[in-house]
Amino acid sequence: MISPVGSVLQDEAEDFDEPGAGASWLKYAGKKAGGALISLVMVIILGFFAFKILPGDPVATMAREHQMSAAQMAQLRAQYGLDKPLIVQFWNYLVNVFTGQFGESYVYHQSVSSLIGQYFWPTILLTGTSAVIAIALGLWLGQKAAWRHGSLFDKITSGTSLVFWSVPTFWLGLLLLLIFGGTLQWFPTGGMVSPGGDSTWFGTVMDVVSHLVLPVTTMVAVVYAQYVMVMRASLLEEMNADYLTTARAKGLREDLVRRKHAVPNALLPTVTLVFMHIGGLISGAVTVETVFSWPGLGKLTYEALSGPDLPLLQGTFVVFSAIIIIMNLIADLIYRQLDPRVRRA
Amino acid sequence: MSTTASTSQAPTASQLAWRRRRASAAKTWADFRAQPGGMVGLIVLIVIILIAAFAPLLAPASMLDVTHVLNQPRFAQPSFAHLLGTDAQGRELWARMVWGARSSLIVGFAATAMSMIIGTVIGMAAGHFTGFVGGLLMRIVDFFLVLPSLILAIVLSSVLSRGLLTIVIAIGVTSWAGTARVVRAQTLTIESRGYIERARALGAGHWHIIGRHIFPAVMPLVLANTTLTVGSAIISESTLAFLGLGDPSSQSWGTILKNAMDVSAATSGYWWFILAPGLAILFVVLAFTLVGRAVETITNPTLRSR
Amino acid sequence: MPIGTLSQSRGLRRITALALAAAVSLGLAFGSTAVPAHAASEQATDSTTLRVATSGFVDSFNPFTSIYLLPTNLIRYMYEYLVQNSQTDGSPTKGLAASWTTKESGKQWVYKLQSGLKWSDGKAITAKDVQYTYEQMMNNAQLGTANGNLVTNFASVKAPDDNTVVINLKSPQASNPGIEIPVVPEHIWSKISKPADYKNEKNVVGSGPFLLQSYKANQSIVLKSNPNFWKGEPKIKKIQYIYYTNSDAEVQALKSGDVDLVSGLTPTQYNALKGVKGVTVHSGKGRRYMSLSINPGMQTSTGKRYGTGAAALQDKQVRQAIRLGINIPSLMKHVIDNQGTLATSFIPASFPEWHLSNKSKVLVKYDPDAAKAKLDQAGWKVGSDGYRYKDGAQLKIRLFANSDDPDEQAMAEYLKPWMKAIGINLDVQSSDSDTINDKVTKGDYDTYFTGWSVNPDPSYQLGINTCASLPDSDGTGGTSQDGYCNPDFDKLYNEQLTELNNTKRKATVQKMLELNYQDAVAVDFWYANSLEAYRSDRFTGFGLQPKKDGIIANQAGYWGFLSAKPVAGSSNSSNVSTGLWIGAGVIVLIILIGGGVFFARRRKSDEIE
Repeated sequence: MISPVGSVLQDEAEDFDEPGAGASWLKYAGKKAGGALISLVMVIILGFFAFKILPGDPVATMAREHQMSAAQMAQLRAQYGLDKPLIVQFWNYLVNVFTGQFGESYVYHQSVSSLIGQYFWPTILLTGTSAVIAIALGLWLGQKAAWRHGSLFDKITSGTSLVFWSVPTFWLGLLLLLIFGGTLQWFPTGGMVSPGGDSTWFGTVMDVVSHLVLPVTTMVAVVYAQYVMVMRASLLEEMNADYLTTARAKGLREDLVRRKHAVPNALLPTVTLVFMHIGGLISGAVTVETVFSWPGLGKLTYEALSGPDLPLLQGTFVVFSAIIIIMNLIADLIYRQLDPRVRRA
Repeated sequence: MSTTASTSQAPTASQLAWRRRRASAAKTWADFRAQPGGMVGLIVLIVIILIAAFAPLLAPASMLDVTHVLNQPRFAQPSFAHLLGTDAQGRELWARMVWGARSSLIVGFAATAMSMIIGTVIGMAAGHFTGFVGGLLMRIVDFFLVLPSLILAIVLSSVLSRGLLTIVIAIGVTSWAGTARVVRAQTLTIESRGYIERARALGAGHWHIIGRHIFPAVMPLVLANTTLTVGSAIISESTLAFLGLGDPSSQSWGTILKNAMDVSAATSGYWWFILAPGLAILFVVLAFTLVGRAVETITNPTLRSR
Repeated sequence: MPIGTLSQSRGLRRITALALAAAVSLGLAFGSTAVPAHAASEQATDSTTLRVATSGFVDSFNPFTSIYLLPTNLIRYMYEYLVQNSQTDGSPTKGLAASWTTKESGKQWVYKLQSGLKWSDGKAITAKDVQYTYEQMMNNAQLGTANGNLVTNFASVKAPDDNTVVINLKSPQASNPGIEIPVVPEHIWSKISKPADYKNEKNVVGSGPFLLQSYKANQSIVLKSNPNFWKGEPKIKKIQYIYYTNSDAEVQALKSGDVDLVSGLTPTQYNALKGVKGVTVHSGKGRRYMSLSINPGMQTSTGKRYGTGAAALQDKQVRQAIRLGINIPSLMKHVIDNQGTLATSFIPASFPEWHLSNKSKVLVKYDPDAAKAKLDQAGWKVGSDGYRYKDGAQLKIRLFANSDDPDEQAMAEYLKPWMKAIGINLDVQSSDSDTINDKVTKGDYDTYFTGWSVNPDPSYQLGINTCASLPDSDGTGGTSQDGYCNPDFDKLYNEQLTELNNTKRKATVQKMLELNYQDAVAVDFWYANSLEAYRSDRFTGFGLQPKKDGIIANQAGYWGFLSAKPVAGSSNSSNVSTGLWIGAGVIVLIILIGGGVFFARRRKSDEIE
């Protein structure tokens, strides 16, 4: 769910599959893409069965909302195809996935793909903004802490990031919501736009931004610590590396040594890790979106759970997993592209 | 000098090994003590573990029986009479927190143990076995790495009946893949060392190599990971509880926090109800993280000297 | 080491600056693509717009197929029924029909429509529209999804002239067949090729006081007033439903003036809102009951037992003992802060016509000694561990409590020790509602908490307590409330179904409820009040149903917002602008910092290289 701060990093480098001598980039990329494809297929299969074994009859759940006769319930079951044998339902699911439709949501009576389309961009806006800020903040603080290793700044930076990392996301979100949304009333208490808000382009953008502040702050606070720690650790490692001593010995200025050699090399594992974590960030949006009523995929998933709205759950599960798989693939490829050692090989 | 341990059973050798181990343990402890952060974390943890262990003595179980407190004030402010205030049913919050430490720590440790065992076994196997088996195991690890773990945990906790065990399984099953990956990498490094080659040449089997060489070598890494993972597991438990997937009948900090939110403690000004469990989680997770980082610094020599 | 160059590195700065720029442009790009339709379609909030916080699901606004609570409630505002539920007590009152008579001892109902009724688009409302609507539901099963159960007894519907509707029933019926069915305009719906799939989510043509104007899933629902409504156009011109997932956020929004009405408050939220300036809290008698359902031994309609219900509970005495062992008034005080009325049956007190009278002789009070005596009689003897035993088996009963429902969790905490006090080992199992429903359907339960929202006419609720509502021989198709089956009850049910004399029908229903009480297939706890709060500095005059002590939202009618009116001179006190300005400040700050870092880097690198 949440990865430990430091230890993930060290072995990341060794873990990127040792490229055999002479292995071409294409071959490498093909192998990685193949692996990603297998994962995707497994996700799609799991997506069906994982949610199929969820207890509860969606129609019975609906019957508790509304007075219904047995005939009406049978009618609904037939409409959703729940009366068909499992293998037929699975086949229909596969057809739905490969046509990109994912079937129709029980609750919203809309195709799942169009629902996901609607909720996708708010999630990207929220997680994208948070990720960019967290990465920028984390890398900047991390490298600064590493340079001033042992200083007060280093201690404060490491200390605060550890504290934020130890806080449950939803708890921090609730506190922010209560202090800045409820008591001080500086920011809206939920949603993405004010109902009937400004009609001008500028007003609308400002409105969205003011809604973004609290959820983004929450996500950044919890996430940036990892980046600080990783950047700090990898830069410290680089600073002791032999080649830097050599470079210094050659008479290069300390400042140039750092900028030209240490930081780019330290960035390598960090950037890779960042990509591997973006997926996790997106699924971490479930809690933040729930706390702040943000109209994104996380909230959609959370609400689909009480239904259970099977097609919707299957859809969001596959989409979430696909995003993570693609991000990991990109991380693999970037690493290969950036790593001087691999390039030399 | 042979390192193929199986042949040398002389008492002197085993005594030597013991002495060496004791010496290395003493040195580890000395190293650990040199880290102020780690020590603070360790002390906090020991205190909380003691509180959890002696919960029935500190707060008799009857303090949690709601029918025994029918005349107690609900939502009483923290005061000398009610140290941490009372909850919606008039129970002392401190009593619930003390019992909550038990569940939270049990979930944290058990889920971590599960995650570590699965992760270590599969990681070692994936690193040790080459060819089809190794490839397949690595595929499985990669697959679990990309699954949205929160969603999978949600599914698991809905399918299994409610209870602490379910939460342990939900967290354990979804968090082992990272460990497996790290352990595999470490295994690969060790496998490439000379003494493994020699052991293999001398006819040592898979069990022997894994049990006698690889396992001891990956253990420090796993241990460092463990302390960090316990903290994550405690946060995960509270997150599951927040999403309504915990075990409401058990007293854990996550459940108390969930109770507080159910009665809108925050909106209604019952700040102690929200702050106490949240801060408790924060301190314990922080303590585990500090200890974990200290252990990591000791076990990973490249990190030392900083 | 030169101080000025100590801390920075070029690559990072560039990344930081680029990243911040990207963040801002991302935000702008998506922010602007995500909302323009919404922003353009609505004017700024004014004093005649009522904003309501909600978290309800919407399946569609199609009156034939929608089954979720929120859209069903909104459809009540959009389409007038032939016969409306009155504000006073929910009894049938004037809707589209001004008057009605019954013929052939209840087999034929004749309705006279009010004259001069108009749809919101100006076309006349005629008997043909009513006939069209009913016939669609009778002839097309898909269009019966929502309310098909209400027309199963219909033989035919006729419209002899524009103002007369005749409903011919298959068998006589005492309850008015014209209730609860939204009547749709034929000239609109007959042109829709697949009416069952029609979402009906914008610019609705209807006959009620408010009409749906636009809907954005999980964001907002906008209703506007109908100038052609037969009681005159409401004072409120627009109603906006705004989505919140978190009920605390709803309360905060009410406090800060982001919304005007919040319903479904918890007692603690209610108490906290009591002193807030500009906010009025309201505790109204709801139409939902809360009970502990006891498995009396589930059986199919052919009498075949199924499920794993505890055999001990098939004994009426044990079930009655459970009721005697629960201190319901104390439970109500501690669980819902006394925000409710103690229950006598599953018909809430807000329908006094049918509600089982508090004076009824069969009602019992908390009496653990009597409970113990009953268990002794039933042959359950106390063992050494304090629990009761019979033939070596412990009296152990499972209780399913919904883990998502804090009230159920709290009730379980009280029930366990109370049951222990009379010698029953109550095994509390928490689970999500889906799992519990699933187990209940299969009969794999002993006891669980349940509750239904009851409609003004009791026929449906009584009907799901008859043997006929038990599942078929293959165990499917059941709609039974508690698995209750008593032939005496069924006989009375059929009597009241055709009893046209209201006084006699009432007496019969009372007898039925008493019978059900004594058989103790459920322990009815209370009818929880519905706790609501609104901005009384902006709106007043909300209509309650029942008129005395009733509720505003979630009524079985359209009275809540119909009579509400804006407070003169009030304005929207929302904090939007503060948020806006702070948002603007944040953006400017980010741009400044990003730009500053970028240019600083430029200058410095120029100096160095």
